[in-house]
Amino acid sequence: MIEVQGLRKTFGSVVAVEGISFRAENGVVTGLLGPNGAGKTTTLRMLTTLLEPDSGTCRIDGIDVFRDPMASRKRLGVLPDVHGLYPRLTPREHVRYFAELHGIDRRRADERGEELFRLLGLGELADRRVEGFSHGERTKVALARALVHDPGNVLLDEPTNGLDVMSTRAVREIIRALREQGRCILFSSHVMQEVAALCDRVVVIARGRVVADGTPDELRARTGRESLEEAFVQAIGSDAGLSQ
Amino acid sequence: MMQKARIVLRKELTDYVRDRRSLSSALLMPIFGPALFAVMFSVIASWNREDAPLVVPVAGAKNAPNLVAFLERHGARVETAPPDYEQKIRDGDLDLAISVPDDYGKDFVGGLPAALQLVIDGSRNKSRAPIRRVEQLLSQYSSQLGSLRLLARGVSPSLAAPLAVSEVDLATPEKTAAQLLNVVPIFLLLACFVGGMHLAIDCTAGERERGSLEPLLVNPVSRPAILAGKWAATVLVAMVALIVTLVAFEVALSRVPLQDLGVKVSLSAPVGARLFALAVPLAVCAGAFELSLALFARTFKEAQTYLSLLVVVPMVPATFLALSPLREGLALMCIPVLSQAMLFGDVLRGESVPLSYIAVSAAGTLLLGVAFFAFAVRLLGNERIVFGRSG
Repeated sequence: MIEVQGLRKTFGSVVAVEGISFRAENGVVTGLLGPNGAGKTTTLRMLTTLLEPDSGTCRIDGIDVFRDPMASRKRLGVLPDVHGLYPRLTPREHVRYFAELHGIDRRRADERGEELFRLLGLGELADRRVEGFSHGERTKVALARALVHDPGNVLLDEPTNGLDVMSTRAVREIIRALREQGRCILFSSHVMQEVAALCDRVVVIARGRVVADGTPDELRARTGRESLEEAFVQAIGSDAGLSQ
Repeated sequence: MMQKARIVLRKELTDYVRDRRSLSSALLMPIFGPALFAVMFSVIASWNREDAPLVVPVAGAKNAPNLVAFLERHGARVETAPPDYEQKIRDGDLDLAISVPDDYGKDFVGGLPAALQLVIDGSRNKSRAPIRRVEQLLSQYSSQLGSLRLLARGVSPSLAAPLAVSEVDLATPEKTAAQLLNVVPIFLLLACFVGGMHLAIDCTAGERERGSLEPLLVNPVSRPAILAGKWAATVLVAMVALIVTLVAFEVALSRVPLQDLGVKVSLSAPVGARLFALAVPLAVCAGAFELSLALFARTFKEAQTYLSLLVVVPMVPATFLALSPLREGLALMCIPVLSQAMLFGDVLRGESVPLSYIAVSAAGTLLLGVAFFAFAVRLLGNERIVFGRSG
């Protein structure tokens, strides 16, 4: 479970996040929707302990992220917006590296890797260097790496960005599977269809603030709009930066 | 922390070894110095070879038959100089020539100084040895004739030689050899700095540019542990470069005919081991320095630019030492790079080095390394460094 309370972050004179609060429950896919530059990635980076907020708190399974970063990182699986793979290593080595950094021994890491590769359909590529991989394959490797330690909370920053139809489907299935396992999934997107297709709850962010929070149905009801798209536009105040 | 550092170390080395381009440059760079050394000294040795026949082209040999006979008696091969001998000397085809003018005989008989010319090109190093030998022969001939003339007039030749100068060279063969080996410390210092450079850039600035720094830092591993792994990898690669440099020098020294230069040098295994041990603290320090510099750089390219300037660092103290020899002292041993350059020289000259010097040099260098490491850890804790200052 992830709880964010009054989070605020400035870069110089630019206010990136201005008092964001929300909750992401276990067994629920929570979508962080907002136009580019709304503060989604900054919020996620604060959750991953890489950025320190000016004020506010983040709790992961009740652990204060900034009091005990090590413990909270252990409970977190992260797919960053740039996947950041090592071109000269194979998927198996990626998974092994991060597993070992999480204190998982080699044998269990390989078992878990095998399981993830099967789930993601990476089996045949597991021992090839990622150098020549397609964007979709890279995303899957990064996802396997993020999930190797079986985290209860999964952060996905624009996971389906730039993927083809088949890869998008595969990633969506994995996200649903993770939800079935009772994990807390927080994923950010600026693509409305993604959020509509996957999310049980939506947190709409614009200009560093939460402008709407609820299930898609609640959002539609609250804004009095028929389509989700119009509900979003209404909530954000303009359709600038929202991908159709 | 050690265990996590070891995991990072193993990954960095695996990654590095697979990068054929940087690996080959890391192994070729240390061989380059010794190879250059071998070629240079093989050529110099061949110029100085004492047993090479001395060829003396003479123009107007018929004017001075006695001189020609003297030269031949002393092992020179006298040849008739080609008509364009001046051009050939200028071009380097001939080392020298003797030109005997027509009135040489007339002056000679008349007891006047008989003029003759030794034609040389003073700018050519390669001709130096034969020129010196011909000059020696000519002055020998001249003083021999002078003595005979004095004797014929009943005067003791020793009156005409008020001084009897003889050279006493105090340089031991090892000292002369160390002069030649002056280049070795430079390349050892270079190996410390350049050896791990690629890896240091790749695992910091490169990691950031690829976007893999962010997922790496999200793992439950402390930043000191991550950096310690990267540090160890950088130092290990630099140590390999050091060993390659030392072995290559050993091979080069055993192949170059240095006995032709009148010196005997070898880089025995114990000397090599001592040099290596002296160099390791510097490799450790250089590794931390490179990591912090590469982290500080905005981009991968910028890191490369900064670090390639490092090549100058070992040159500074080495050049300084060559120009104005410093007296060694404990104070100077505190200065990294300079102290290593001095200690390398001592070991190569076969001089004994006080243990306190070695201890102070190692301690000072390692301390600076730890300071750079602490700086790198602080940089990695800075969000502007982690996410880049350009974006």
